[in-house]
Amino acid sequence: MISIKNLTFYYSGSDKPALRDINLEIEDGEFVLLTGPSGGGKSSLCRCLNGLIPHFYGGKITGKVEVNGLNVMKHSTKELATTVGMVFQDPENQLVAVDVDSELAFGLENLAFAKEVIARRVEEALDTVGIVSLRHRATSELSGGEKQRVAIASVLALYPDILVLDEPTSELDPKGAEDVLNVVERLNDELGITVILVEHRLDRVVAHSDRIVVLENGMITADGGPRSILGDGKVSQSGVGIPPIIKLVQAVKSKGNLIDNTPLTVKEGRMAMAEALRDSESFASRHSERVLRSPCHSERSEESHRSGQAPRPKNLNRARLHEESPLIEVKKLWHAYPEGFVAVKDINLSICPGEFVAIMGRNASGKTTLVKHFNGLLKPTKGDVTVAGINAKEATVAELARKVGYVFQNPNDHLFCDTVEEELAFTLNNLGVKGGEAEPLINQTLERFGLTQYRYQYPRFLSGGEKQRVALASILVAQPQIIILDEPTRGMEYRLKAELMKFLDEYRRECRAVILVTQDVEMVAEFSDRVVLLSEGKIVVDGPKREVLSHALLFSPQINRLAQALKNYGVPDDILTADEMIEELA
Amino acid sequence: MVSYKYSGKDTVIHRLNPWCKLAWIAGVCILALLFDSPVYLLLLSLSTLPVILAARVWKEWLSVMKFAFFLCLLIIVINALVSNQGSHVLYQFPFAIPIAGAPRITLEGILWGVGNSLRLLAIISAFTVLMFAIHPDDLMLAMVKAKLPYKSVMVTSLSTKFVPALIDDAQRIADAKKSRGLELDRGGRIQRVKSYASIAIPLLSNSLDRAVQVAEAMESRAFGSGQKRTFYKELKLSKVDITILSFVFFSIAFGVFLRCSGQGGYQYYPAVEAVSLTTSEWAVLFVLLLLVNAMPILALLKRKVSLD
Repeated sequence: MISIKNLTFYYSGSDKPALRDINLEIEDGEFVLLTGPSGGGKSSLCRCLNGLIPHFYGGKITGKVEVNGLNVMKHSTKELATTVGMVFQDPENQLVAVDVDSELAFGLENLAFAKEVIARRVEEALDTVGIVSLRHRATSELSGGEKQRVAIASVLALYPDILVLDEPTSELDPKGAEDVLNVVERLNDELGITVILVEHRLDRVVAHSDRIVVLENGMITADGGPRSILGDGKVSQSGVGIPPIIKLVQAVKSKGNLIDNTPLTVKEGRMAMAEALRDSESFASRHSERVLRSPCHSERSEESHRSGQAPRPKNLNRARLHEESPLIEVKKLWHAYPEGFVAVKDINLSICPGEFVAIMGRNASGKTTLVKHFNGLLKPTKGDVTVAGINAKEATVAELARKVGYVFQNPNDHLFCDTVEEELAFTLNNLGVKGGEAEPLINQTLERFGLTQYRYQYPRFLSGGEKQRVALASILVAQPQIIILDEPTRGMEYRLKAELMKFLDEYRRECRAVILVTQDVEMVAEFSDRVVLLSEGKIVVDGPKREVLSHALLFSPQINRLAQALKNYGVPDDILTADEMIEELA
Repeated sequence: MVSYKYSGKDTVIHRLNPWCKLAWIAGVCILALLFDSPVYLLLLSLSTLPVILAARVWKEWLSVMKFAFFLCLLIIVINALVSNQGSHVLYQFPFAIPIAGAPRITLEGILWGVGNSLRLLAIISAFTVLMFAIHPDDLMLAMVKAKLPYKSVMVTSLSTKFVPALIDDAQRIADAKKSRGLELDRGGRIQRVKSYASIAIPLLSNSLDRAVQVAEAMESRAFGSGQKRTFYKELKLSKVDITILSFVFFSIAFGVFLRCSGQGGYQYYPAVEAVSLTTSEWAVLFVLLLLVNAMPILALLKRKVSLD
């Protein structure tokens, strides 16, 4: 059992509390989802549970934290290791051994267990997490999801009663995340291990949790069962991403339909929606006529009533755009790395101004390799890439930087200057824009990204979302015609994601192209308009998102799965987002 | 691209006890330092090859050797320029340097460089086995068993583990900076230093972040709990291992004996002498080289035995 009383904590050197008057009791075997905006205190709270706060971090702490009767202030992290197992965000930085079985033995060796005990427990941990096949592999060769499962197994070998996971999936691709969450759920179900999971994306885990705790500004602002917390919609103001299905059902409810439950899974959502649609006969009859009139839904062009957003330039001026020359033209592109791995094969692709293209595909399917050709970071092994009329084969990265902005996933890779302003000036300076010419561009960009107040601050000390904005601003200050973002939303909370996407949508309206490398299906469903799906270096599908994402098995958004099941009630089966569905039902 | 890290191949050499490999490397180094004769050194260098081949790390070995060759070339050139002793003068520079006298290139100077390069090649070649054919965990365990403090050994092992991550980091950061129009090779010296700082600063602060995260993760798994640590893996010496070890020690002792009895010596200065070995000297030399290669031979035999 975990019992936290009046816990307040300040990091050393900070006069703003990271945690403020926290009171929380967690029963044995509970599955608690800890969520809230970044910088809200989730990680700090996790670190209080195994004594990293205060023993590792120092700082000022008051109140009481007890874990299975052990006072955390008096027992060190090492003593707590057999009670609380901790899994961290970054899979790269928590594995210390060369191969998997020695990784699992590491904690047990530190605690001086006898060799026979270690051998047995390593075996058990491998089995429990289902990674027996990895046991002799080198940890450096594993995928992110595998690494994270090894990390879980390595703390599990210590027989902890409580497992604390601090955003374990935020660095992983959807498949890796799924594997990790499956393991966590099973540990809770079958072994009764108390789980405290920090997570932004609720749709996948909410059905398994017993309780949701929302932390904001270091305080608990909501605490309760998932249905009650998500059902009343209040938490959405605090940046918690409400799963699309719940959003949908809430909207239906507000129209006066009686749905008594808040659905947590696609299945529950399907049943709730089916019931609601049966009740409102009018909808079904009204829509069945329309279905008869236009039987082929997937060929429907975007209808203005449907999009709910302002009409997009591409749809309005499709014909005109195609007369314009494309910004990027890829012809028979092949790329082989020096080691001999052929990453992209025979790619043909053209991207026009005003397009918002999502490049999707599994890990190592060639997504990043492909887009790195657009700004010259990679050169074609065979074939041609033309970017804004320039042959990318012959141009340097610096020459292409005027036309193409490339935003890397981790803003820390971009930032190095002393102030935010200098960060923007650096890019302009490199491109030969100096002094008086640069000033208005910098002001304008800072304004646009809401960064004016941070102008003279050290960028690396800003919060995650702000850093992302600075990184983006430092690219867009040069006003490139094409902007490429590589996995920009991985591990990002919903509110920041939505902000970023809104901005990109505005940007492409200025007749520029936005290219997104991503595996985030829900986001693509909501914001992009064309999807290029890669597999093993080849383009498998290239088309409007509606065509690609509906009827897909792996890459289909939650709402689309729901819509497909509700076909009989006259719901078009190519609906992708909650908003579209709400619009359709209205 | 050859990645400079342990590749975890499954060969007879990889499976050997690390003590055998460490002793063998030490043996080759001692012998290389013991003998001066270029013939001995050349044959010693070549006699490391069977181990490299048996460990199937020739690709890695080749890329290390490319670098080593370059190093040797440097040694030869510098020694030829700096050393002005020797009686066979090949080229006399037309000027004199105060105190040092008139520089000249002599045959002895060049040959001394060549001879010592051979010595270096033998040592580097042996060390590729350390790099590519000893499991880092085994190496760590051996170091701990040799009574080196565990924490220091762990830190050393960790820092080598994170080198590839650091290289990836640097590559990514450089790409990010290039995408913002940075041209690393442009401008004057000061400009270039600034350009590289834009990569070094994020690299450094990312590394510091990484260090804190790794420390946290280790702390959470009871690292340094104060108890005497146990080790899950063991370094058991099998009979074959002990046999190999004794052969290695014998080869060293035999080498010392040979050197003491006057074999394998060589003088470059003042004038190069002819290298001539008597039949019995050749025979003894080959026995020595055979002893050096007892490790791969026995390792292969061991596999034969264990297969039966």
